[in-house]
Amino acid sequence: MSRTAALLVLALTLSACGTSAGGGDEKQEITVWLMKDTATEEFVSEFESEFERDHANLDLKVQVQEWNGITQKVTSALASTDPPDVIEVGNTQVAQYVASKGVTDLSGRKGELRGDDWIPGLAEPGAVDGKQFGVPFYAANRVVIYRKDLFEAAGVAVPKTRDEWLAATAKLDQVPDQQGIYLPGQNWYTLSGFVWDEGGDLAAQDGGTWKGTLNTPEALAGMDFYKRLQALGDGPKDSDEAKPQQTDVVAGGKVAQFIAVPGAAKLVTKANPALEGKLGFFPIPGKTADQPGAVFTGGSDLIIPLASSRQDGAYEVVKALTGEKWQVELAKAMNYVPNRKSLAGAVGGDPGTAAMALGAANGHATPNSPNWAAVEARNPIKEFQTAVLTGADPKAAAAKADEVITQALNSGK
Amino acid sequence: MTLVAERPVRTPAPATPKRRRRPVLPYLLIAPTLLATAYLLLYPLVRNVIISLQEFGLPQLVRGDAKFVGLANYARVLSDPEFWAVVRRTLWFTAINVVLIMVLSTLVALLLVRLGRWLRLLVMGGLVLTWATPVIAATTVFQWLFQSRLGVVNWALVALGFEEYRDYTWFADGEATFGILVALIVWQSIPFAAMSLYAAMITIPQELYEAARMDGAGAWRVFSTITFPMLRAMFGLITCLEVIWVVKAFVQIWVISQGGPGQATTTLPVYAFQVAQSLQRYDLGAAVSMLMVVLLVLALLAYFRQLYRQEREA
Amino acid sequence: MIGRISRTTAALVVFAVSVFPVYWMVLTAFKPTKDIQSATPTFLPLPITFEHFGTAIAAKGFFSFWRNSLLVAGGAVLLSLLVALLAAYAVARLQWKGRRGFILMVFVAQMTPWEALLIPIYVIARDTGMLDTLWMLTLVYFMITLPFTVVTLRGFLAAIPVDLEEAAQVDGCSRAQAFRRVVFPLLAPGLLATSLFGFITAWNEFAFANVLIIKDQDDRTLPVWLSSFNNTFGTDWGATMAASTLFMLPVLLIFIVLQGRVTTGIVGGAVKG
Repeated sequence: MSRTAALLVLALTLSACGTSAGGGDEKQEITVWLMKDTATEEFVSEFESEFERDHANLDLKVQVQEWNGITQKVTSALASTDPPDVIEVGNTQVAQYVASKGVTDLSGRKGELRGDDWIPGLAEPGAVDGKQFGVPFYAANRVVIYRKDLFEAAGVAVPKTRDEWLAATAKLDQVPDQQGIYLPGQNWYTLSGFVWDEGGDLAAQDGGTWKGTLNTPEALAGMDFYKRLQALGDGPKDSDEAKPQQTDVVAGGKVAQFIAVPGAAKLVTKANPALEGKLGFFPIPGKTADQPGAVFTGGSDLIIPLASSRQDGAYEVVKALTGEKWQVELAKAMNYVPNRKSLAGAVGGDPGTAAMALGAANGHATPNSPNWAAVEARNPIKEFQTAVLTGADPKAAAAKADEVITQALNSGK
Repeated sequence: MTLVAERPVRTPAPATPKRRRRPVLPYLLIAPTLLATAYLLLYPLVRNVIISLQEFGLPQLVRGDAKFVGLANYARVLSDPEFWAVVRRTLWFTAINVVLIMVLSTLVALLLVRLGRWLRLLVMGGLVLTWATPVIAATTVFQWLFQSRLGVVNWALVALGFEEYRDYTWFADGEATFGILVALIVWQSIPFAAMSLYAAMITIPQELYEAARMDGAGAWRVFSTITFPMLRAMFGLITCLEVIWVVKAFVQIWVISQGGPGQATTTLPVYAFQVAQSLQRYDLGAAVSMLMVVLLVLALLAYFRQLYRQEREA
Repeated sequence: MIGRISRTTAALVVFAVSVFPVYWMVLTAFKPTKDIQSATPTFLPLPITFEHFGTAIAAKGFFSFWRNSLLVAGGAVLLSLLVALLAAYAVARLQWKGRRGFILMVFVAQMTPWEALLIPIYVIARDTGMLDTLWMLTLVYFMITLPFTVVTLRGFLAAIPVDLEEAAQVDGCSRAQAFRRVVFPLLAPGLLATSLFGFITAWNEFAFANVLIIKDQDDRTLPVWLSSFNNTFGTDWGATMAASTLFMLPVLLIFIVLQGRVTTGIVGGAVKG
C-alpha cells in the first residue's frame, strides 16, 4: 500500500513539475501583454529579436491577450506576486487599474520618454492626480473602409454628409447578394460618434454625481441614425464587431463598407488577398460637409505592474516600444496615430491614415471617470442598441441603460 | 432499506476476540481527507467569510490591509432590489430545470425498463454520448445551433413555415436566451438522472409488478403505488443532486450570455461573479456567495437531516 | 401492439434528441466551410474534410493545452482515489466515534458551490506562491472531486461481502494483507468507474483554470482555450466544432469503457452503505 502511495505521489510530483523553469539561466525573462490585433505577427517577432539583440541580458516574451474578459485578467495579474512586466491597457481603462495602487508611477521618466510631445488623447487618460502611470502607446479612430470596386459598379461617389451616406448605402444595398454596409448592432463606439454629432453624450456629470444621458433627444437621434444605417446590411443585431470578427465577414462576402480603424483593412486583405488594392477609406461623414463625424479616440497605454520584480527590464521595453523607431514601424504596419505629435507626419502618405487624421479632428473621449471601465464591463449601451434594433421602445430602453450607467459611475464613492 | 438487491450490504461483524481493538486506525484513515478538507475547503470558506466582512476591492486585493466593516456588505446586498430579483430568478430557474429534469428522466427511465435489448442499448448509447459531452463543448454547440444566420434551428423553423424565425436573434431576447439555457442544462442533466433511476428501477422485484397488474392496476397506479414508493430515497437523492447542480450552474450561462441580455439570465453564481470580477467589489461578491451557500443549505436541510437519520440506522 | 410502436417511437425520439447536438458538432467539424456557410444545411458530411481538424490542431499551443488538461485531471483523480479509498474503508468497514458526523461532512462538502471560493483560493494561491502552477489546479480539482469519490467508493466497498475479508484474516492475513489480496481486486472496477466522474469534473473545469493560470499561458487548460476559441478563430465554426470534438474524445472513450459500472456504483454508494 505505502509503496503504491509513494509511487503515485512521485508520479504526481514529476508530472506537475514538468513545466517549471529550470534554474541557472542568467537571462531575465520579461513578459509583455499586448492585445489581440494590436500589432502584426511580423512586427512582434521583429521587435522581439531586435530588442533581445540590444539587451543581451533580457529574454522578451510577448503574449497576445483577448479583449474578452480582459479586466479580470489584468486585475488578477496586478494582484499576483509575479505579474507580466508590461501590460497594454485601453486608454479608457488606465484610471481603473491605477486606482488599485498596483501600477508603477512613471512620472520621473516622463522627460526621458519625451512626455511633452505625447498626444493628449493618450497622455491625459494615462495620468491620475498629476502622476503619469500609463505611457502612450498608439491611438486610432474609426473610419469607413469601403470597396472601391463595388462603389464604382453601383455608380456611387464617396459621401460627404450623412444624408449622402444613407442614400449611397441604400443604393449599394440594392445590388443582389450585396450588403450596403456591415454594421453589427453593438458597435457602441460608432453609436457614440453619432450621439456626439447630435450634441449629446453617454453620461454627464452634475456636481459630484454622474448620470447616464442616453434618454435625451440628442442621444436618441443618434441611435435613430444608427438604426437606419444598420438596416442597410446584414450585420447581426445582437453582437459586436468582434463576434464574428467583422474583417472575416468583409473578406468572405460582398460587403460594400464597414466601420473600423484603418488597420483593419490589412486584416481583410490578409484573409482574402483578392481584395488587395480594392479597399478605400473615408472619414465617417458628419451632419454637414464642412465637418467630419465625431469619433471616439481609441488607443492604448502601457503600464508596468508594481509587483513586477523586473522594473528596469520592463522600463526598457516600454522605452523601446514607445520610442521613435518602433512607433513609426507600428504606425506604418497598423495605420495608427503614433504617440508623439512630432511623428504625425511619419505615416502621412497612407490613404487610411489620412482619412483617420481628418476624422481625428473631431475626436472625443468616453466620460472621464475611473468607474467608466465598470460601465464597459457590463455594457448597457450594447444592450440598448440591440433592444432598439430589435424593435423595443427607444425611450424605455435608453432609460433602462441610463439607470445602469448612473449606478455604475456612482458606485464605490 | 436496500436498493441494490444483488449487492447485500452488511455492517461489519462484531470484532473477533483474536483482533485487538485499534481505535486509532479509523482516524488515521480519515486524516488525509480531513486535512485536505480543512485546508482546501474550510480555510477558503473562512477566508471568504472574512472578505465578506471587510471592505475589499481591487486596492485591497493588490496591497492587502483591508478594513473590517462588520455586516455592511450584507446590509448593502440585502437592501439591493437587484439582489432579490436575482434570487427570485435563481429559484425560478432552478424550479423549471429540476422539474423538467426529473419528469423527463423518470419517463426515459420507465421507457428504458420497457424496451427490448437493442432499442435499450441504442437509447443508452445516445444518453452516454450526451453525458460524455464536456460542458464547454456542449455550450459551444448550442451557441452554434441557435446562431441567428447559419444556425440549424432557425433553418428548421423557417422550413417548417415559421417565417418569422428567419435570422431570428435568439440571444438578443431575454426569454429566448433563458429558454436555451434551460434546454441546454436539461439536455445535459437527463442522462445521469435517467440512468441512475433506471439502474434503481431494475432492482425492484418483478413479482410486485405482476401482482399489481393482476389486480388490474394501470400504468400510473403501478408507478404511484410501487415504483415511486420503493424508490423514494433515490428520487430524493437525485432531486437534491440536480438542485445543487442547477443552482451552481455557471459556465454555461457565463459562456453563452454572461448573464444577459439585460439581467435576464443572471442567477446567483453569475451575479456573484459579475459583482466580484467586473466591478471588482470582491467584498460584495463574497457576501452574495455566502448568502447563496446559506440558501442552498436551507433548501437541502431536510435532505441532510434524513441522511443523518439514515446513517444511524446503519 | 400499439404500445410497442409508441414505445419504439419514443425511444427513437429520445435517441435523436440526445444525439443530435453531438451529431451536429461532429458533422460541422467534417463539413467543408462552403457547406457550413450555405443557407440550406446538409445533414451528411459529404464531401468530408479534415481541414478543420488541421486548423484546430495547428492552433498555437493546442498540444500543450491538451497535455495540461490530462495532467491536471489525471493527477487530481489519482490523488483523490488514494485519499478517498482510505476514508471509504474507515466508513464502510469500521465502527468509530464520529463516523456519522464525518459522513455528513463529506455530503455537505459535496454541495460546495466552488465558484464562490474563487477569490479566497486565488488569494491563498498567491500568498503561497502557487499561482500559475498546474500543482495548484491539481489540488483544487482533487478537493472538488474528493467528496464524491469518498461517497461512491464507500458504496462499492460496502457491496463487497465482509466475510471474504474475515476469512482471509482467519487464515492469518493482517488487515492490510486481507485488503490488498481480497478486497482490492474486487474493488478495481469500482475504482475505475469512480475515477471517471472525477476525471470529467476536472476535465471540464473552467473558472479556476481561468483565474489561477495568469502569466504562464502555456499552462492553460483546454476549457479555457476552447472558451476563447470563438475569438481565436472568428467565424470559423468548422474549426470551433473540430476543437470541441477533440476536447470530447478522451472523455467519450473512457466513458464507453466504464459507463455501465458507474450508475450501479452511484445507486449502491449514494443511497445506502
